[in-house]
Amino acid sequence: MRTLSGVGSTPLSGVGTARWYRPDALDLPERPAPETVDPARERERFADARETAREGIRRARDRTAERVGEDEAAVFEAHEQFLDDPQLVEAIEDAIDGGVPAEHAVDDAFGEAVAQFEGMEGRMAERADDLRDVRDRLLRALLDAGTGDLAALPPGTVLLAERLTPSDTAELDPGVVAGIATATGGRTAHAAIIARSLAIPAVVGVGDALADVAEGATVLVDGEAGEVVVDPDETRRAESEGLDAPVVEERVTTADGRPVEVAANVGRPAELDPAVARGADGVGLFRTEFLFLDRERPPDEDEQYEAVTAALSAFPGERVVVRTLDVGGDKQVPYLDLPAEPNPFLGRRGVRLSLDEHADLFETQLRALLRAAAHDGGDLCVMVPMVARVEEVEAVLDRVGSVAADLDDEDVEYAVPELGAMVETPAAVHVADALAERLDFLSIGTNDLTQYVMAADREHDGVADLHDPLHPPVLRAIDRTVSAAHERDAWVGMCGEMAGDPALTELLVGLGLDELSMSAVTVSAVKERVRAVDTDAAAALADEVLACETRAEVAALLS
Amino acid sequence: MERTVEVVPEAGLHARPASQFVRTANQYDAAVRVGRADEGDDGLVEGNSMLAVTGLNVEHGESVRLVAEGEDAAAALDALAAILTTPVEADDGEGDAEGDGP
Repeated sequence: MRTLSGVGSTPLSGVGTARWYRPDALDLPERPAPETVDPARERERFADARETAREGIRRARDRTAERVGEDEAAVFEAHEQFLDDPQLVEAIEDAIDGGVPAEHAVDDAFGEAVAQFEGMEGRMAERADDLRDVRDRLLRALLDAGTGDLAALPPGTVLLAERLTPSDTAELDPGVVAGIATATGGRTAHAAIIARSLAIPAVVGVGDALADVAEGATVLVDGEAGEVVVDPDETRRAESEGLDAPVVEERVTTADGRPVEVAANVGRPAELDPAVARGADGVGLFRTEFLFLDRERPPDEDEQYEAVTAALSAFPGERVVVRTLDVGGDKQVPYLDLPAEPNPFLGRRGVRLSLDEHADLFETQLRALLRAAAHDGGDLCVMVPMVARVEEVEAVLDRVGSVAADLDDEDVEYAVPELGAMVETPAAVHVADALAERLDFLSIGTNDLTQYVMAADREHDGVADLHDPLHPPVLRAIDRTVSAAHERDAWVGMCGEMAGDPALTELLVGLGLDELSMSAVTVSAVKERVRAVDTDAAAALADEVLACETRAEVAALLS
Repeated sequence: MERTVEVVPEAGLHARPASQFVRTANQYDAAVRVGRADEGDDGLVEGNSMLAVTGLNVEHGESVRLVAEGEDAAAALDALAAILTTPVEADDGEGDAEGDGP
């Protein structure tokens, strides 16, 4: 087993057989003497190659728009414009008229343009990649070279490459490609964005060491850890076990018939289709931050309405749990002008901001959500993050009431969705009964709950051993929350990494969770586990686990 | 005729805004040139060339000067100024992929 480090680009993992993609086999023939070149014929060859390239770019554009999204497809519009760039076209045609064959003319003109952009920072380097992509299309057409059969790879392929272009990536079938590892590239490159949207595990920027991985080797790509593991051992494989499980589309129950909903966490619209494809029963956590980050002003009500109804339409009749805006001192939102905080995770984040200085944003969001709740065939649930006090929930309910009254006055169609709170602070655990009394559901956010219960920063490597939900205090907090909610007839879900670990499914069912929500990629594996669970045995296991005093004892029971 | 505007899209004159800019410049019967406002005539490049436009590397917040000549010059300037002053969500793909909230 050998581990290479890179940058995790798609936070999923996959194992497969290594295949090298070497598109650089675009070898130009020897440059002939100018007098032997027929410019008229070369111009025609260039024109034909341009049309072939154009068709390819348009196909890639359409495929990406359909499978990934319009935003990601926009890069191919830029490619078409490079293809038509008057400077490039003129340089190529001039060279041809001077006796240079079309392929050399293309290579020279693009080579010069690439050199201009190369070595520059950030976006300019990406432009160089785009230009190379267009150049290669033209050269392939001129040299009659194949595309390296990216569209016809055998199932279970881990694709290795020096670099991948956006065009290459759009060609890939997520059902066939188990992972991607590239020597160069960063996680914001277009190819990486497309891979992420297609839910293909990817690690980029591995460097020269990647070249030593042999064709045909068994390779694990861990896009979460940013690692490429050659000949992974059983333990390492087990970490990604279940990711290749067949898709279970239908709802599942335990072996003795207790239904457990298995839903997906969704962070942006492009993740909706993969979530459906992976068999999710609905959305257990729809983050709304993507609507607010990286822009100049907040989204308006209609934009938010569209985004939420898109999620509802992706899952007709299924529950979609939308989390209201969860920003705080740790996330940059320029127009909110949030002051830097010494302890952002203990500062003004989540519902604290929504109820106070950004009440206007919250009201707009609630209006959009109440309107979306009236959407045909949808089952919208809304939850607020970072709740610590009963008063906060009461204030939220007040706001919902007044927004509903406004919509009523304006004769706007709306419905009041099911309302819930995220339980991620120890405070919320201790008042879970009072919260559940006022709400329809609770959803346990285990990443933050663990951080706050254990007083261990989740980003801090030095306390990583504390940041583990299997510590008894965290498990007891979960148990307490579930029991309190059920006593008040509220349902309880869990979103967070813990919910998506198939090894913990039996325990979580035993603890009484009604819904588990996770990265789409583990949905089917968890469903398989749910089917095998006997609820009495699971409850007995949970009792035993809750009696443990140390993490080691818990781990021993679960192994 | 000419106009000076401040670039609003987060991506600057890159990605989708650049693409829209070039496409739009090509739609009008006008010769369009574009450059940084403080670089005078020497800094102007052809607005119909993706290579030239993205090569400027104009970032969000910079002032650019648009110069158009020809029958549709006024309409072209209106359309191009609109592209440069309309915010677009930055398409940098930075998601919240690993579940920060829960």
